[in-house]
Amino acid sequence: MSNKEFQFEIVAAPDYAFLDVNIPADKTIKVEASSMATMDTNIEMKTKFKGGLSRLLTGESIFINEFTAKNGSGKIGIAPSTPGDLKHIYLDGTETIYLQNSAFLASSMTINVESKWQGLARGFFSGEGLFLIRCTGTGDLFFNSFGAIIELNVTDGYVVDTGNIVGFTSGLDYEIGTVGGMKSLFFSGEGLVAKFRGNGKLWIQTKKVRPLVWWANPFRPKKG
Amino acid sequence: MQIEFEYKPGNAIAKVKLSAGQTITAEGGAMVAMSPNMDIETTTRQRKGGSLFSSVKRLLASESFFFNHFTARDGDAEIFLGTSLPGDMTTLAVTGKKIFVQGGSYVASSQDVQFETVWRGAKNLISGESLFWIELSGQGEAIINAFGVIYSFDVDGDYIVDTGHIVAYEEGLDYTITKAGESWVSSFLGGEGFVCKFSGRGKVWCQSHSSSSFGQQLSPHLRAIKTS
Repeated sequence: MSNKEFQFEIVAAPDYAFLDVNIPADKTIKVEASSMATMDTNIEMKTKFKGGLSRLLTGESIFINEFTAKNGSGKIGIAPSTPGDLKHIYLDGTETIYLQNSAFLASSMTINVESKWQGLARGFFSGEGLFLIRCTGTGDLFFNSFGAIIELNVTDGYVVDTGNIVGFTSGLDYEIGTVGGMKSLFFSGEGLVAKFRGNGKLWIQTKKVRPLVWWANPFRPKKG
Repeated sequence: MQIEFEYKPGNAIAKVKLSAGQTITAEGGAMVAMSPNMDIETTTRQRKGGSLFSSVKRLLASESFFFNHFTARDGDAEIFLGTSLPGDMTTLAVTGKKIFVQGGSYVASSQDVQFETVWRGAKNLISGESLFWIELSGQGEAIINAFGVIYSFDVDGDYIVDTGHIVAYEEGLDYTITKAGESWVSSFLGGEGFVCKFSGRGKVWCQSHSSSSFGQQLSPHLRAIKTS
């Protein structure tokens, strides 16, 4: 994992992780739409329609911006939309990484970023979107989370709440299931879980967005 | 049973390791991830004893109605437990002395810790804080969470804590709901409203932030609920 294409620094992880990248002259980096916070004036932005139409259905931005340093190198500051953690992985061309829809943050141009249909059973019932983002190729990949990221080396299976999945390597496969029996399905409060099998790395996040929303709900004002 | 915390205090998560046959009881929804060799039983109350009435009380306490009992099936097992709000977690050693935990702060407890919901009546009703407390007794460990950082201190005599900042307190202490300022008018204009005045001797656990104050800050920015 020590390999990298870009010089970068991740600051304030895991609570408020922020990414500073140095883009060499005439090099380009892909960044999730609306994640650029600061940049040098010699950096040019192009908006690309990426990830296919399927990302439109997921409610995620279907645009990925490309930032190119002109006339010398330039610095860009990239801020994820949620307060949380940020990970860098160098893909060597043999590995495939699957990310939860909102987890993609930035990558080298040589990384292919595409939506992958999960199938109705896995996507729809997980409640976390019908698509995962599949990342392949050779280069840097940055992804982010809500809350801190925990990296697990799975060899013997693992069970994860669907809302806590950030990403996983292609050696793992999963199916959507329940914890316990029928009573647990309805009353455990755990909803549906992903049961992972195989060998690989699994990244989970300490927080979920939805319980925070439920918590905020009683504070909504009333309009008569 | 071994409890470790990661990413304290901003994004705390508890990693609990169980040996074969050991059980941890957690509030519904707390499970983040776990090894596959875990058996789960969902009940409305503590495994041993507890009445339906106590379950109803818990429902009113804005705690989950249901508990999940996680048992390591064969060999060692591990489970991550998390909470919905960003903040801290810590363990409480339950060693015979009762500990009272604010309604929403209970996360989990080991198998020999008994818990019961305690109604605190009208004095909490007027303060707008949790009406119920979870009373922990027996022997073992419990996990609690907070909004912001958890800190604790020993009280000997009297001490005042804002109602929104109490997480837990030990047997030996009692409290009354009172006003922070000289008069009720100055208390409310000062934004302090009701406070808890503890007296006696024992430990108090507090949270650095009040989730209800935060919620009130968000309120004007949230989409209104139509009540036609």
